[in-house]
Amino acid sequence: MAISILVVDDSATMLMSLKTGLTMHGLQVETANSGQAALDLLKSGLKPALILTDVNMPIMGGLELIGKIRALPGFRFLPILTLTTESESAKREEGKRQGATGWLVKPIAGAELVKVIKQIVPGA
Amino acid sequence: MASSTLGTGAGVPLIPAPMNEQDESDPAADDRDRRLRRIRNRLAREGAVRLVLMAILWLCLTYGLSAELIPYRLSFAGLIFLFIYLPGLGFSLADYREASRAISEMWAFGQYRYKDISRLLATRAIVQADIQDSRPYIDVMHEQIGDSLAESEAEVLKVIGEIGVLNSKANRQRENIAQSIRSGQELTDSTHLRVESNKQTIAAIEMQMEAQTDEFRNNFGRIQSLSGDVRALTPLIKVITSIAQQTSLLALNAEIEAARAGSAGKGFSVVAFEVRKLAVSSTKAAADIGDKITATCKRVESEMAAAHASLEQHEASSAMKHLVAELGKMQEEFSRSSDLLLEVITEVDANYAESVHRLTEALGHIQFQDVMRQRMEHVQSALREMRDHLQYLMETRLNTDKDENLDATFKSLLANHLTKYRMASQHLTHQAVAGGTGAGDHSRPSIELF
Repeated sequence: MAISILVVDDSATMLMSLKTGLTMHGLQVETANSGQAALDLLKSGLKPALILTDVNMPIMGGLELIGKIRALPGFRFLPILTLTTESESAKREEGKRQGATGWLVKPIAGAELVKVIKQIVPGA
Repeated sequence: MASSTLGTGAGVPLIPAPMNEQDESDPAADDRDRRLRRIRNRLAREGAVRLVLMAILWLCLTYGLSAELIPYRLSFAGLIFLFIYLPGLGFSLADYREASRAISEMWAFGQYRYKDISRLLATRAIVQADIQDSRPYIDVMHEQIGDSLAESEAEVLKVIGEIGVLNSKANRQRENIAQSIRSGQELTDSTHLRVESNKQTIAAIEMQMEAQTDEFRNNFGRIQSLSGDVRALTPLIKVITSIAQQTSLLALNAEIEAARAGSAGKGFSVVAFEVRKLAVSSTKAAADIGDKITATCKRVESEMAAAHASLEQHEASSAMKHLVAELGKMQEEFSRSSDLLLEVITEVDANYAESVHRLTEALGHIQFQDVMRQRMEHVQSALREMRDHLQYLMETRLNTDKDENLDATFKSLLANHLTKYRMASQHLTHQAVAGGTGAGDHSRPSIELF
């Protein structure tokens, strides 16, 4: 069974490029264009093996989303990576405090992203 | 006084420019002259009032005092005129001259500043109108950027869609090729096995045929040997013939001798005759046997030669061997085809893996569109900020007496951007152009696992 990944980004370009790229590597990709949409998917029973989220999104940012996901039952240890243009150290520390598993700065090479995912999710 | 040098406000000299003829004919200069005339008239009226007051004072003194006091009265009036009125008149005239000069200088200065201020006000009006027009200008630029981003995003989405379709088709094609190759391999393997089986059968048949051929050859040998043996009987026939001829000759001699013996030899003569007859029969029989042996041998030799030729031809053509060899070649071809198919699927897999790798990299590069979008959105935000600030500048009236300052300046707005940047590249560009500090720490790696 294919490994499922939830990608959260307000950019349609990012969502589509990540979905297309990761699907090529045999991963099953679900997408959400906002933090709230991602939360709704998780509450409706989606159990991804990993979440890849943007940080700067309208209404609910990525860091707030991570905090809310960690508060949900069953998602405390789910790997959550951020994929953002934010590269400042202070933001990373904030992400770490919220419960992010890793911090990836856009743009990231496709092969590197797949490598990181395989490193975090066994069998991906 | 007005003629002294004063400090400058905005680089404009406060020393009044000298008035010239053009100023004299100026309506503003006429206004100045009118004001000066008014001052002169006022001074004249003041002088007249003073004289009237003096005259009233003198009349009062004339009619209010007794006649003997008139000399004193005249002296007193003269003293007042001499020490009070005349100096006052002199001071007034001096004041008039000073005032006239000051007014002229102030007027010249005011005239100069008036023109300057008029120019400034006109410029301000023009600039305000232009700033007003900058609003749609900036809005248009803002929308142009927004539209460009939207179009760029739409086109990039199409590219991603095409990449997705391309990959799906390539994957389907690869699966089809793999399926075809698997089918081909199965067919090849199956045919290979069949050929192998046929080859073994044919090899067995060939072995059997070779055994039969060997047996034929052995039989040929044996027949040839028998033929030789039979041919070897030919001299014996000659011996028998010779013996029969000698026996006949002997029987003839015996008959002759029996005839000589007369009746005593009559019986012997019969025997000799019979013996000679037998000898003749034997000779004939031997000759027949010899002929038959020769004929048989010739026929055997002829048959053997034909059989031998046929066997040799059979061995030379060796259809079975050829068939086996062909089947062997066919097997090799199948093996090569199988290997080729394996190579093809391996190559197709490798090419597909490479295309997936390249497409993945291409999709990674497409993330630049999002990076560019965020940078352009920041520029859009800055354009809006500039537009609002220009409107603010246009509408602002500062009270410099109260040391009022602008709430915000372009400098402060620009410095504020340093706190809004997300990317190291934005900070670098800003600092390269405008300097500034507070970019934060962007030195950590782009991939960091906590």
